Amino acid sequence: MLKKILFLMVFLFTFNLLYAKDLNVGFVYVGPVGDGGWTYAHDLGRQEMAKLPFVKKTQYIESVPEGADATRVITNLAQKGYNLIFTTSFGYMDPTIEVAKKFKNVVFMHCSGYKTADNVGNYFGRMYQARYLSGIIAGSMTKSNIIGYVAAHPIPEVIRGINAFTLGVRSVNPKAVVKVVWTNTWFDPATERNAADSLLDVGADLLTMHQDTPATLQAAEKRGKFVIGYNSDMRKYAPNGFLTAPVWNWGVLYKEIATQVSNGTWKPSSIWWGLDKGIIDLAPLSPKIPSEIVKKVELEKRDIISGKNKIFVGPLKDNSGKIVVPARKVMSDQELLSMNFFVEGVQGTIKK
Amino acid sequence: MEKILELKEISKKFGNFQANKNISFDLYKGEILTILGENGAGKSTLMNIITGFYRSDDGEIYVNGKKVTLTSPKDAIKHGIGMVHQHFMLVKNLTVFENLLVALKDKRFIINKNRYANIFLNIFKKFNLNIDLDLPLWKLSIGEQQWIEIIKLLINDCQILILDEPTTLLTPQETEFLFKFLFELKKEGKSIIFISHKIKEVMEVSDRIVILKKGEVVSILNKEDFNENRISHLMVGTVLKNKYDKDVKPSDDLLLEISNLYAKNDKGLADLQDFNLVVRKSEILGIAGISGNGQKALAEVLTGLKDPYKGKISLNGIDITYGTARQKYIHGIAHIPEDRKAMGIAPDLTVEENLILKNFKDKELGGILLNRKNINRYANDLVEKFNIQYGVKNAPVRLLSGGNIQKVIIARELSENPTILVALYPTRGLDIGSQEFIHQTIIEHQKKGMSTIYISEDLDELFKISDRIAVIFRGKNMGYFEPDNVDKKTIGKMMGGIIKDD
Amino acid sequence: MIRIEKRISNSQNLKSLAKFFSFVIGILISLFFLKFLGIGLIDLIKNIYYDAFGSIYSFTELLIKMVPLLICSIGVSFAFKMKLWNIGSEGQLYIGALASSLIAIYIPLNSHYLMIFLMFLAAFIAGGLWSGLAGFLKVKLNVNEIIVTLLMNYIAILIVDYLVYGPLKDPEGFNFPYSKKFTDIAKLSTFGDTRLHTGIVLAIFLLILYYILMEKSVWGYEVRVIGSNPNAARYAGININKNILIIMILSGGVSALAGFTEVSGVLHRLQHSISPGYGYTAIIIAWLSNQNSIGILFSSLFMALIFLAGDTLQLNYQIPISMVNAFQGILLFTLLTGDFFINHKITMKRRKNA
Repeated sequence: MLKKILFLMVFLFTFNLLYAKDLNVGFVYVGPVGDGGWTYAHDLGRQEMAKLPFVKKTQYIESVPEGADATRVITNLAQKGYNLIFTTSFGYMDPTIEVAKKFKNVVFMHCSGYKTADNVGNYFGRMYQARYLSGIIAGSMTKSNIIGYVAAHPIPEVIRGINAFTLGVRSVNPKAVVKVVWTNTWFDPATERNAADSLLDVGADLLTMHQDTPATLQAAEKRGKFVIGYNSDMRKYAPNGFLTAPVWNWGVLYKEIATQVSNGTWKPSSIWWGLDKGIIDLAPLSPKIPSEIVKKVELEKRDIISGKNKIFVGPLKDNSGKIVVPARKVMSDQELLSMNFFVEGVQGTIKK
Repeated sequence: MEKILELKEISKKFGNFQANKNISFDLYKGEILTILGENGAGKSTLMNIITGFYRSDDGEIYVNGKKVTLTSPKDAIKHGIGMVHQHFMLVKNLTVFENLLVALKDKRFIINKNRYANIFLNIFKKFNLNIDLDLPLWKLSIGEQQWIEIIKLLINDCQILILDEPTTLLTPQETEFLFKFLFELKKEGKSIIFISHKIKEVMEVSDRIVILKKGEVVSILNKEDFNENRISHLMVGTVLKNKYDKDVKPSDDLLLEISNLYAKNDKGLADLQDFNLVVRKSEILGIAGISGNGQKALAEVLTGLKDPYKGKISLNGIDITYGTARQKYIHGIAHIPEDRKAMGIAPDLTVEENLILKNFKDKELGGILLNRKNINRYANDLVEKFNIQYGVKNAPVRLLSGGNIQKVIIARELSENPTILVALYPTRGLDIGSQEFIHQTIIEHQKKGMSTIYISEDLDELFKISDRIAVIFRGKNMGYFEPDNVDKKTIGKMMGGIIKDD
Repeated sequence: MIRIEKRISNSQNLKSLAKFFSFVIGILISLFFLKFLGIGLIDLIKNIYYDAFGSIYSFTELLIKMVPLLICSIGVSFAFKMKLWNIGSEGQLYIGALASSLIAIYIPLNSHYLMIFLMFLAAFIAGGLWSGLAGFLKVKLNVNEIIVTLLMNYIAILIVDYLVYGPLKDPEGFNFPYSKKFTDIAKLSTFGDTRLHTGIVLAIFLLILYYILMEKSVWGYEVRVIGSNPNAARYAGININKNILIIMILSGGVSALAGFTEVSGVLHRLQHSISPGYGYTAIIIAWLSNQNSIGILFSSLFMALIFLAGDTLQLNYQIPISMVNAFQGILLFTLLTGDFFINHKITMKRRKNA
């Protein structure tokens, strides 16, 4: 009997493998794969996924503008027989939904948005968890108690990261402030470097950033300051000052989705994975970080994974001192996704 | 005396036009030699050959007894030949020091400002010039800028200085100072070639005069032979009176009357001063004068391109000096501008489109949309009548030859049967055939009652075509002459500012 | 000694021929490089052809890309015809997009046609006033229009940015920098189930209007005379200042209509980056085409094709975007060089040693 069951399982398993749908997977990137940041991280994930046996072909198109062109490019991929398409920037949301209507047999996955359809899911990671952890390191390492944050656009994703980071900072160092400079661009090394320099000029002794290039790291390294990266392990851009970086491991998610689509178990949903699944993490910590802080970070990480620390828990004040989240209230995912205020300790403005 | 420069049999042709023919003369050390001639006599071409801008077709140049080949102005400077152009080649935004430094040929890689400043200041001191090295150039007067141009040559150790019409832009005081300066240079042993057409100042400053006419040397005079009459005679030439037989006489009725007219140029200097002119109906009135004496301003005022600031112009008794009457009537005055390409045509447009420039607002040609059929018919008529030769249909007019461009302009201007035509150097640079054609066309229209103000430097042509000739000098009408009752000598003298009862 | 001289004469036919040849040379150079990357040439041409003309869908995509390019280059050409260098087409496009979006978002209307008409009008007026300002400054203070129009590009783009990050942000849009989506009333209708919108009709209409105004009308004749020689124009009694104002308003107004078709026909909302530089590409088109109406049409189509060919190269051959940009650069470069040689010739002058 046991043998039979085992046999059946093996049979089903091999059957499944044999009859797994072959996948041609397309990716639409907002920047060039060589950016060393956001798009680069996605491309690492693509390469990992490409090793799956049923993934026959993967293809990306880089530097696609977030507007009228996106629709054409996505349609192109769908027409050329790609049956799983990842669109990896917020601005591709509506084009993805639009194209998906015409290609019912293709599965579309859009990164960082909120819309779904019969054949469209969306996915993102709770990067704020890793941001919080990096904030703990920053709060412990700053001497001047001024931390600089080079940020792209005032959208919820970025604001959430800044807030989580600041909460992390303040959990160990209530006196520290986080100064934010907006660059209004995802990808412009010169502008990013200028922003970083201006933060260093006003006394920041530690920088972090939410951009697609490592320009901030280079700026900090040049001035001999500590820096926390983002997107991927960026230590080669700042060998001395690099502390860590909240990083994406998109491969985990891409492999999972490809498998689901391949064996027919995929359902449209909004995936928002966190530290627990490993889609986000901290890059290996610099040896310059004292061991007690490393230990503290590890403990906090365990608490986040176990759900003990949900990070955005009341009471939370905004940076004008007003209570925005009452005591003990946990912010819902919906609220997190449309976050539009800075927590106490952030110095910067958001247009309302 | 020692010969520093020898020209032997220099010739230069542009197309069919012989600009210089077998020109030979010598320049001695410490001499001021003047090249005198009318516009178009070949002075500029010759100077451009000596300074390496042009290469002569034939002939040889010797400097200090050695034969040289000059292929660029740099070459010329190397041989000690430098030129001060009529239009200064200075950088207005740089300081005096910087301008001189730019011109300096042998510079060290690293500039020691004091060292060079001292060199420059020494030269200033020697000639009693008082200029601050750190002043930006635009703050200098025209006269001072000219000194800088001359100093630029001196710092490069030029032994032969060529000055092209240096007094044109100067005030009398500045001119006087310039001459003093030149005498100083002469004492230093420099040789100077002075180009001018103003007989009086030439006689004052030169040791010898070379007179050019139509590209050839007609005479070389020594100081003791200087004589106004003789010089102007040689300069203007002794071509026989040659006149068109016109079977039309000007009427006695006045058409245009200009009285006490004043106009300023862009620099705010007077172009016309107390200018008076009377033109009769169906008359060709020639205006003789050396260019730059107000001819252009006169033409511009009469065609509405420039406003006078004082005086009165009346046409058929109507005051058209200012206001709406000016707008209304000035348009009926036909105009052949001085610079064909810069004023007379829209170079990128076709011949047809250029022919309608004056009357495109007519109902028949347009209105709202251009009536291509009528335009073509209208243009074809003119093309035929004026024998305008052009190759490709719809080709831009700039591709036509000078003579044909001039025909396009004349066809356009005369097509409306204007009462008056203002022609500014209409035959300049054209071949004989085209010149003749233009003269005949104007006479043709004279028969139809058109009056012409014919402005020219070429006395031959003025004598040929005019019913009367007025002489313009420094913005003033010096008087009228009947070509039959005057010789060119008298007029030539007056063009140089010498009053007729002289 | 090598000297560069202006060519005195050349025929129009020779010019077109030379332009065509320089284009072919550019293609050949690009193909040569691609060959090195191991790409079959015939195959490549087939693919590009297929991706641009292979199906109704792909052809409509080409046209969609062409619409803003065509409209902007018509706008630019109006000014260039008069040798007025309006390089602010990009900013004018943004202003047009903004003006029509404001109408679409804030004016509650039930009539599609009235709505579209108002959006059209708003874009034209806003764009016209926007670049009319540059014209006004030129006429009154003799301020260089190149500088003014160029700098106003940045102003326009920043104004739109400010609004989509601030007051115009969609309250239901999770705080992303997008305005509310337009209702169907404010969307241009499309042909069949393609994305091709009626903006193409507007673009063609504008082209015909441009042709009539510039080539056929008396006013266009005046503009061309001014462009060719302002002195001759003044002499012919043409009012230059008035025409500078009119042309700048028209030029900006038309460019702004590209903003209108983009938001109303394609994006259906105002957002952070509306145009990937259509206004700048339009300058190249206006220049390549010599502001000739048929030339504008084909150059726009050509530039749109270059954009699409970039997709093909990436998709079919995995050629990185930087390579694609380099090819586009090569093509433009050869065209520019070709034009230089049309207007200039190089002569070798030997130093004669007498």
